[in-house]
Amino acid sequence: MLDSPPPTAVRRRLRQGRDRLATALITAGGIGVIAALLAIGLFLAVEVVPLFWPSGEASAISPEALWSGGEAAEDASRHRWAPTATLAPDETPRISLAPLAWGTLEAAAWALVIAVPLALGAAAHSSLFMSRRLRSRLKPTLELMEALPGVVVGFVAGLVLAPWVERHLAEVAAALLLLVPGPLLAGGLWSRLPAPWREALPLGWAGLWLVPWLALVLAASVWLAPWLEAVAFDGDLRRFLELRLGLDIAVRNALIVGAAMGFAVMPSVYALAEDALSGVPSSLAEGAQALGATRWQTFWKVVLPAASPGIFSAVMIGAGRAVGETMIVLMASGNAALMTLNPLDGLRSLAATIAIELPEAGPGGVHYQLLLLAALALFVFTFLVNTLAELVRTRLRRRYRRLGGGA
Amino acid sequence: MSAVPFRRPLLWLLLIACCVPLFQVQSQAQADDRDSGEAIVGTLGTMGSDTMAGLMLRWGEALARRHPGIRLQLQASGSASAPPALVAGTTRLGPMSRPMSEVERRAFVARHGYPPRELTVARDALVVVVHRHNPLAGLGRRELDAVFSDTQRCGAPAAIRDWQALGLDWPEGRIRLHGRNAASGTQALFRRVALCGGLFRPAINEHPGSAAVVAAVAEDPRAIGYAGLNHLTPGVKALAHRDDDGTLRAPDPEAVRRGEYALSRELYLYLNLPPGEALPPPERAFLDLVLSPAGQAIVEELGFVALPEAQRRRQRRALSLADGG
Repeated sequence: MLDSPPPTAVRRRLRQGRDRLATALITAGGIGVIAALLAIGLFLAVEVVPLFWPSGEASAISPEALWSGGEAAEDASRHRWAPTATLAPDETPRISLAPLAWGTLEAAAWALVIAVPLALGAAAHSSLFMSRRLRSRLKPTLELMEALPGVVVGFVAGLVLAPWVERHLAEVAAALLLLVPGPLLAGGLWSRLPAPWREALPLGWAGLWLVPWLALVLAASVWLAPWLEAVAFDGDLRRFLELRLGLDIAVRNALIVGAAMGFAVMPSVYALAEDALSGVPSSLAEGAQALGATRWQTFWKVVLPAASPGIFSAVMIGAGRAVGETMIVLMASGNAALMTLNPLDGLRSLAATIAIELPEAGPGGVHYQLLLLAALALFVFTFLVNTLAELVRTRLRRRYRRLGGGA
Repeated sequence: MSAVPFRRPLLWLLLIACCVPLFQVQSQAQADDRDSGEAIVGTLGTMGSDTMAGLMLRWGEALARRHPGIRLQLQASGSASAPPALVAGTTRLGPMSRPMSEVERRAFVARHGYPPRELTVARDALVVVVHRHNPLAGLGRRELDAVFSDTQRCGAPAAIRDWQALGLDWPEGRIRLHGRNAASGTQALFRRVALCGGLFRPAINEHPGSAAVVAAVAEDPRAIGYAGLNHLTPGVKALAHRDDDGTLRAPDPEAVRRGEYALSRELYLYLNLPPGEALPPPERAFLDLVLSPAGQAIVEELGFVALPEAQRRRQRRALSLADGG
């Protein structure tokens, strides 16, 4: 029933044809992606042009107004985003993008502060110390975490977590205070345990036996919270912060956004960093240990530098996602266009502003063009971050290639 | 071929049972139609306010019951989307929760040569809401301005940032503000009426919908916010508005209808109708429904406020719709 195999010349020509077709398709795809990217940038730029060089009687907007809200603006209304405000004729428009850019960066910074140490620590532990069986369970679980849609994370953070934290401020503060020394204490205790105990609690399974320890630490923080509040904060943490330190406390604040977005960013940072660390050839680590280096020295001096290009790009991809993330910030931040350093205040990001306001801004109006300008700023920013990441990564990779490092 | 179509008689019975009510509805609708003369067939495209989306949807459903041949296509992406669609001619009906601005009206006239027809189809009000346990009864315009803005254009001597400054013992501490996003008709109205056109304090939390404002206020005893009247829930308390002479006006439908409650507004339907021309039959049927007692009952059902009887009849006459209908 089968056809007789065609002669080799025909087969070769067939294969060449297929290869050429595949090459053409892939090239076309690549060019298409680049063209689409350029077209998006160009579209945004063209739509924004009338803001600065208007054609009709409308007045041009000065870059100064976009930054500080106008030079004449008094202190209270500098850095304001109120694009739809009706203005008296002598007033400067309140269209400063500064609070939005600030909010975007603040949210991303908090997300990275929370996600990067946890993700990198987890990656280092799981690639070097964790038992293989536990790791094979852990990785898919973390990947599942990444598949959680941003809307769901934002919803839980904004509507469940934020009010809960507001009601239990002291407990959360105590938990934050204890969560860093808790595991350190566990490590110190572990190294002083008698040998048979240490065998029963192997380092590779620390991920499991630390869970009850962490639960204990959390229980201790709940138990300690009233005492902490009474001793250090005059009996009421919220009132202490508001009256003594003059801090505003918003229910949906930068820390909630940071925690939620950190949760969303963590899995991808972890996955990339873990791949980079596991990709370091084992001959390197074995050689170092054969020369008498401890595990820690091997990790710190050999494996980490060799994997640094991959780890760097992992962090940068996390930063890119945190800057562009929309739904989590929109739902968890309260969208107050503030410029403060207080992590308990609300914030407002460029992406969330575009999402909320664009549907109701009339196309062609000043507000619409301002929102497109915000989109352009976001586009340029992520473009720059990614380009920078790629440049640094290739440079690092070149430097460490002598070590034989991968990634 | 072993597939016998009637292999599962029970399933088929169920299916048929489901279809029977459909047929009944169909025949009833046809009967209604026969009463009102010839059948009207057509598609009504509307584009505009999202505040009015639920209202338009319910009117569309009621219209489909009266005239099965008419379909209503609804796009609700904000009041600002209505004027461009009317100018471009992609729609002839534009629901808006605020009156058209001068710029929008001029664009329409420039394109079509005549102004758009404005109809008031319902009334709505903004309510200032606080947590259900908050003892505050009402606020005047100056106090609202002092709480929500930092420009104080309504003449308050200083900004109010704490509940204690409003004379309350509880809740204590800072007032947390919630409101709608910029570019919404709701925010524009509140800024115009309660803030005398001033600026909101930047610390205000902006939510993409009135329901979200109400939900946020319901969970926080220190919060205050403003929302559409039809979004009230048992979790929040609607504050009365204190007039300049000191009387408290609760936002009840009667006060809104009479225009005594200061934070009320009208909801509009803009119509592309050349002067002297008669309404096309689908539009005519739709407006006939909207301005009928049945249409106004839907308004009340959704938590808005129906038009005063005189205004309803006046508009019917202006469109030369049959009286009473």
